Amino acid sequence: MVENRKLSRRKLLGTAAIAATAAAAGGLGTVASLFAQQPQVPGDEKSLPTFTGPSQNPYWNSVGPTVQYPQKFPLVLLTDRPVQLETPRHYFETAFTPNGAFYVRWHLDEIPNSVDLATWRLNVEGSVERPLKFSMSDLTGKFKPVTVAAVNQCSGNSRSKFQPRVPGGQWGQGAMGNAKWTGVPLRELLDAAKIKQDGLFVQFQGMDQGKGPEGHGSREFLKSLELKNSVLDDCIVAYAMNGEPLPMLNGFPVRLVVPGYFATYWMKGLSWIRVLDKPDENFWMKTGYRVPDTPRGNTTPEEIKAGNVKTVPISRMPVRSFIVTPDGATKLVAQLPVAVRGIAFSGYGSITKLEISVDDGKSFEVAELGEDFGPYSFRTWSYKWTLPKPGRYFLAARATDGKGNIQPDDGVWNPGGYLWNRIERQEVVVGRSS
Amino acid sequence: MRRTTIWFIGILAVLAAAAGSLVYAQFDAGYYGQRNPGAIMQPAVQMEMDGAAYSVAAYPLYAPELAPGPGREDVQSYCSTCHSTRYITMQPPLPPETWTAEVNKMVKVMGQPIPEDVQPVIIKYLQTHYTPETRKP
Repeated sequence: MVENRKLSRRKLLGTAAIAATAAAAGGLGTVASLFAQQPQVPGDEKSLPTFTGPSQNPYWNSVGPTVQYPQKFPLVLLTDRPVQLETPRHYFETAFTPNGAFYVRWHLDEIPNSVDLATWRLNVEGSVERPLKFSMSDLTGKFKPVTVAAVNQCSGNSRSKFQPRVPGGQWGQGAMGNAKWTGVPLRELLDAAKIKQDGLFVQFQGMDQGKGPEGHGSREFLKSLELKNSVLDDCIVAYAMNGEPLPMLNGFPVRLVVPGYFATYWMKGLSWIRVLDKPDENFWMKTGYRVPDTPRGNTTPEEIKAGNVKTVPISRMPVRSFIVTPDGATKLVAQLPVAVRGIAFSGYGSITKLEISVDDGKSFEVAELGEDFGPYSFRTWSYKWTLPKPGRYFLAARATDGKGNIQPDDGVWNPGGYLWNRIERQEVVVGRSS
Repeated sequence: MRRTTIWFIGILAVLAAAAGSLVYAQFDAGYYGQRNPGAIMQPAVQMEMDGAAYSVAAYPLYAPELAPGPGREDVQSYCSTCHSTRYITMQPPLPPETWTAEVNKMVKVMGQPIPEDVQPVIIKYLQTHYTPETRKP
């Protein structure tokens, strides 16, 4: 091992010396070609392209560089203003995603850098008998805290898997995370303010603002849920995430938690809860974040062009599962055991079964499920695979939820790039053991 | 004359600060700054002891390099009011008609006031450099 290291170091020095000579003699072109001739170190990662497409993104994550933001670990950069950052694959080895690793997605560029809790208030207003303003100490002191484990997944998670590709944030699989959220039940805040009889919807607004003109989606980000929607009974105004304050980029001081629903409703920096007496006509409800009113939200570019597609606001997350390890970074050794591990979740209730295929989805065997943290949490799973003879294998994971929904083996297509939940695969190579 | 101007500017500044503090009575938002890619954050400890204000550093910017060619300056100025041009470079290569639709959406739906004679320049630029046929690695 040490020998090898020495050797490669000497090799490197040699290369540098040649390169320097070449640069002096012949210019940059020669240097580049010299480096190109160097044999690639086995197992070296191929350097990623700067974009993927027009075919499907072949990687697990998106291809941006890793960058670091305040309170965050290095994450994959999608965009810098507004901020969109993706969580790297290996953070999904555990049921709960560390706050520092949790993905980030903002819609508007004026996002908080600083919040003064001396003046910050959560406003409950609109069609209510008693408009109220809650300080952070009101929220923590006047209400009994509740905690729920829930997955927060961006509606556009895995958008880069779509064929044909659609515009939007080109997420790989890492626009999701699972946390224990602690806070006040939304219904208790609404009850305290007493909803008027004409109340129909409840609208949420955070502190973020854009530079677009008044009344446009580029100025304000607003989301609403119908008051009669039973998901409101599960909603929490959360001031803690995995037992700690929320990172600024994940919605400090409080964010809405809508268990089972896509993250578009989980308003960050939540500061206004507004009861409406009519449906919400703003861009982010009427135009954005809508899916075809078809099975799985599936349609075709032709149907869209023909104008035949009725849409509805996106809501619950379909059942999904992910293989986290092995990731193909190295060959597996024939005859040695390996644990195939990953996570699964569904917006329709607990994961009841996880099956693994080692023959590209032709046959499946049941994997062992990890601890159950409730119906809206990630559930880890693991499958002991005794490796067969050397060769190439395609692993596939398939989850089933409590409602009996099974992950399908077909992609989905809609113009927003939403609701992807196809069975995921991982290619691995098994090598000889002697 | 000069003195009046200075006073005028001073009063303007005070007014602007007052207006700013009205808007941002509860929070401060939208601070971005350049940072070298690859630098790991080593934040200075926040020293303010008695306040209830919680702050983080400015969010780093990572400006992408847009393909050189006619229209690049227009794209740079009109397409970065609300978002950085990484919103362009992040996209997969998109068909020409999708770029037309995107620019139209920004004008008609999002309300970005791009002059009528500049819109075709921006569309042309995006189609020249960011379609499956034209995008360079």
